[in-house]
Amino acid sequence: MTDNNRFSDSLTFPSTTDQVAKADEFLETWLRKIGVPEDTIANLAIAVTELVNNAIVHGNKLKRNKKVTVSLTFDSGMIKITVADEGEGFNPENVPDPLAKENLMKEIGRGIFIVNSLIDEVKFQFPPGGGTKVTITKNIA
Amino acid sequence: MKLTSREENSIVILEPRGKIMGGPDATILHDQLHEFIDQDKKRVVIDLAKVEWMNSTGLGILISGLTTLRNNGGELKLARVTEKIESLLTITKLITVFDNYDSVEDALKSFD
Repeated sequence: MTDNNRFSDSLTFPSTTDQVAKADEFLETWLRKIGVPEDTIANLAIAVTELVNNAIVHGNKLKRNKKVTVSLTFDSGMIKITVADEGEGFNPENVPDPLAKENLMKEIGRGIFIVNSLIDEVKFQFPPGGGTKVTITKNIA
Repeated sequence: MKLTSREENSIVILEPRGKIMGGPDATILHDQLHEFIDQDKKRVVIDLAKVEWMNSTGLGILISGLTTLRNNGGELKLARVTEKIESLLTITKLITVFDNYDSVEDALKSFD
């Protein structure tokens, strides 16, 4: 759905890692259509690909039959992007600090930290029916 | 991501292009690094000038490369790190882990 100042769209895909690039393409195409500055597009794309990777690998545990959905809404200068999986959820408080000395050289574990660093508003939801929904919001007005 | 490589004075220069975001794309860089290690080529420069951005998957690949090379008596250096990637290296404190150089030439000289 689109008009001059608002749109909404979504993309649902199986939990395979080759879908990360497709999710990025879907996102960046929309963000360019609504005139988002390139630097902001890069930050949103980094954040969303982190969330999609987490949803595929940690949430849905690479099970092809479990889906990931990326939803975008744009209204009055506000971009809202939600990444939802069908996994078992997790406690964001229990994610180890990637800046801790013992974690600095680890190859994984920086995704959520990077999302929180790049995006002002990040909301985690764990619906009663299962899964994780992460919504990031960016005001470009 | 696309990846090319060349050698100068027995030092491997890897030149990734595009975005490093995870998925099969990212394994190309990881596999290439490990292939050079297997061939006993352990001095590597990654020229990041043409990388638009990377996420934590890309950072993980750099860490993996650095750790594997060091464990095998080699070294990994970064050259021409873009502003976007430098800011990620800074917020994750990985800027303290990697040697970064403004040019590939400077990175090559650092092995002397």
